[in-house]
Amino acid sequence: MTKRTAGLPCLVAAAIVLGACARSDRERPVVAGGNAERGRAAVIALECGACHRIPGIPKARGTVGPPLGDYRKRVYVAGRNPNVPDHLVGWIRDAPSLDPGTAMPDLDVSEAEARDIAAYLYR
Amino acid sequence: MLRHKLLFGVLGACAILLLGILAGVAILLSGAFSTAATEQHSAFTHWLLDTGLRYSVNANSGEIVAPALTGAAMIDRGRSCFRAHCVHCHGAPALSREPHGLGMMPIPNDLTESARDWPPAWLYYVTAKGVRMTGMPAWEFRLSDADLWATVAFLKQLPALSRVEYVGLAPLPPQTYCRSDDVATARRTEAYDEDKRGEIVLRQYACHACHQIEGVVGPDTNVGPALVDWRTRRYIAGTLPNTPENLARWIVDPPGVSPGTLMPDLDVSEAHAREMADFLFAQD
Repeated sequence: MTKRTAGLPCLVAAAIVLGACARSDRERPVVAGGNAERGRAAVIALECGACHRIPGIPKARGTVGPPLGDYRKRVYVAGRNPNVPDHLVGWIRDAPSLDPGTAMPDLDVSEAEARDIAAYLYR
Repeated sequence: MLRHKLLFGVLGACAILLLGILAGVAILLSGAFSTAATEQHSAFTHWLLDTGLRYSVNANSGEIVAPALTGAAMIDRGRSCFRAHCVHCHGAPALSREPHGLGMMPIPNDLTESARDWPPAWLYYVTAKGVRMTGMPAWEFRLSDADLWATVAFLKQLPALSRVEYVGLAPLPPQTYCRSDDVATARRTEAYDEDKRGEIVLRQYACHACHQIEGVVGPDTNVGPALVDWRTRRYIAGTLPNTPENLARWIVDPPGVSPGTLMPDLDVSEAHAREMADFLFAQD
């Protein structure tokens, strides 16, 4: 490649590097006290995958509830509250108290466990 | 020898094409192309868009037959539509447009000139179908056919009105026209191919502003859940068993089905909701 023709490909390469900076994905929300590893174990133990499709959890291909992949990008929890840790934790702990008509059951999980699960979903 | 010349010619053309594509990618990713509405189009771009608009409107409005655009009642009806939906962006004789009509790019034109110069079928077509890549929406899903033609009838009067005449027009009766729940607007999709109707209707109610929808091109949004593989979903909004009937019911009145939901009542007619539901259930 001569010097004359090398300019443009270099510019394209530079632009692609620069373009990578233009991503605007949401940063991972921090769940105080939440541990994503413990959360993953809890998601498996509680069989969340029976109702939800959850990437990274074996056999989690349920279609009763919505898919939970890329959860941090979602704007709302259950279509009613802003998707911030406290709302997600509250929903995981006791969904029917927030929406009496929901098919999502009260899972009877502790606050700490719900925080772990939230941390995993936001991972 | 000739074969060689041809080969080099083709190779050269391919190289130029490739360089052009690379240059385009470079400009896009470097951010050198400004998307700010404060930047104006080049004269060539503007000419291209404007000419394209005229030729497209001309070619597509050929079969539209205008009714008689006369009668005080029709013109008054058109005036109520104009005041409800047009004046904000386009302005009127001696009347400024609203702020959003001032800062748009491209600028919504002043309608007095196009109303004077364009045939009624063109005005009807642009009003009904909107204009891509501008802020002009398709009004055929908002207004009845009678309201669209009444609007054209009023537009045809507009260029002849002085300031005094426009401002001095008798006050309008309470808005009884130009409402989307007008029964006449219930089905506007019949003119479209059956397999395209659902997609058009979903877009006309801005569903893709909040949902990623298989089969509808739109923003990479995460406001509502993605509407993908819809048939496999068991519940609607976590509440209703997922059947086409229930889905239509939910689309027509989300807060009525699930109080507290942030999905708004979008004033969707029963017929349109059914078309949306059918489209989502027909996804591969």
